Amino acid sequence: MYKDQTISTPGKPLGKALLYTLPMFLITFMFLTGGRPDFTDTTQTVALLTTFMGMNLLYFLMHFTGKTDRYRAVIFIIFALSLSFTLIKNMVEIRNSMSFSQADIVECKIPFCHLVIPMMIIPAAFTKSIIFPGTIIGGFADISSMVVLWLIATLVLGRGFCSWGCFYGGWDDGFSRFRKRPALRKISDSWKWMPFAVLLMVALTAALTLIPTYCDWMCPFKAVTEFEQVTNLESGVKAGVFISLFGGLVVALPVMSRKRTQCSFLCPLGAVNTVSNKVTPFTIKIDKTACNECYKCVEVCPLFALTPDDVKRGKASVFCSKCGKCVDACTKKAIHFGIKGVPAGTMKGFSRNLFLFVSFLFIAVFSSGSIMFTVRSLLNLIF
Amino acid sequence: MADSFILGLSSGTACLVTCGMIMFPYLMAGTAGTRRIAIDLSAFLLTRLLVYLMLATVAWYFGQAIFSSAIVHTYLPGILFVVFAALLIWYGIGKNRKKACPAKIVRTVDNNRLVPVFLGIVNSIGFCPALLIIITKGATEGTLVQSYLAFLAFFAGSSLWFLPLPFAGKIRKREVIGTIGIFATAIAGTIFMIKGITLIVGGIINV
Repeated sequence: MYKDQTISTPGKPLGKALLYTLPMFLITFMFLTGGRPDFTDTTQTVALLTTFMGMNLLYFLMHFTGKTDRYRAVIFIIFALSLSFTLIKNMVEIRNSMSFSQADIVECKIPFCHLVIPMMIIPAAFTKSIIFPGTIIGGFADISSMVVLWLIATLVLGRGFCSWGCFYGGWDDGFSRFRKRPALRKISDSWKWMPFAVLLMVALTAALTLIPTYCDWMCPFKAVTEFEQVTNLESGVKAGVFISLFGGLVVALPVMSRKRTQCSFLCPLGAVNTVSNKVTPFTIKIDKTACNECYKCVEVCPLFALTPDDVKRGKASVFCSKCGKCVDACTKKAIHFGIKGVPAGTMKGFSRNLFLFVSFLFIAVFSSGSIMFTVRSLLNLIF
Repeated sequence: MADSFILGLSSGTACLVTCGMIMFPYLMAGTAGTRRIAIDLSAFLLTRLLVYLMLATVAWYFGQAIFSSAIVHTYLPGILFVVFAALLIWYGIGKNRKKACPAKIVRTVDNNRLVPVFLGIVNSIGFCPALLIIITKGATEGTLVQSYLAFLAFFAGSSLWFLPLPFAGKIRKREVIGTIGIFATAIAGTIFMIKGITLIVGGIINV
């Protein structure tokens, strides 16, 4: 299929890569220590330094090697695993179980996640109330901070949120890397419109029933976070749906197809982020003069965001999450991170540096808490 | 009622895409102003409403007759939901289905004034899987009023999509909207499939 194979994108010299890492080094240190470093607690210090060094090493390697996706994937997958670990540990410590009871719902003790946002909008507009039994301000995973964080990320990164901010995406991203070659190749890309149908359905059903229907019935990640206590047939069926969707769309299909099928075919927030991709200044561009139309980028894209037509047009579609996999795979350096309004093939380095700084800073800040907590918990467990 | 409304709403998108484009020229043909469009559309929707109310009556009485046996009442609704929901899912995502609309036969009607009424009848009794599901629901409701309410909710949900029909010609990316509508139909099918399975399993547990 490929017409040509040549050496891929080289990185920066060591000194330059270190220089580019320095601002991230300082900002993440300030953020992780809160500006007041306290090294009295040994376990906490080790957890902090491990998280801090690990993050900055990944950022440095992005600049030094010129590769984006392989290092992004590391922090993205660790983020997903650590977030699930943090949530489960919190649930177990508070309730002795991963499941929540009706009393927890009544007392608004359910941790909020960004996937609820599309369902909240219509009921909030008409009833001036939030249809989620969580805490508005303060407490663990409160609604206001999650909404603000998502809003900032989606306006700046667009669907980049799905590869640089979502704490669930790492699950199917991780499973999609299990096989070297896909066993399932022929998947119609019309399925990528499915999240819009899911969005339509969950937004309407939530508006009609004033229940976050996606969380209540469809979210595959309930299987790895928290779920309703199985007390009757209905809650049993729900648990069955969660486990089936997790097993099918997050584990089996990504392993077989090397695609992020949950993100591509189910996630309603992904559909919203696709729309916000039109607003973000960052994009993926294809320099048609350098492109040899080998379509390796089309093949590796995990979100069906690139088609041969897109390659001919010279830009990725709105489904692009800017994960950088296509950029890493391009043997001609034709595909690159870009800024809207800047012609393809120009300001490649500047666009990549700017995008990497913004997106990595977001994931570093967003994920540091749960990663540090996980490292500390594991250290406590071992020693 | 919410599930009937959602069923109507989700199947309405596919209905609009498959049937709407056929109806549109007929509803709009020879009309000059919004008044005429409003009259034709009202006649079309009113006809649908009347047909649905008749179907609700027939379905409920039919249901009373066939679901009188306890064993049939326990299992048959669930089985029918599963079968029709599977049909609806296949209708949504099956590659070999024919997305033809029975409304095509309006081409045989000469009288323009009667076309909206005729379209309303043909569209209502098109017997798509979504209609079969709502008939099953109407048949299993406790009272005739509940059956009417289920059909009314279904009518309201599916009719919403016909309201912007006069502007259908201006819709861009019609194919994408059609794809999303068809997937939404398949999701509605999945909801009723789960409902059917829950009814069957619930029946087995309770027996």
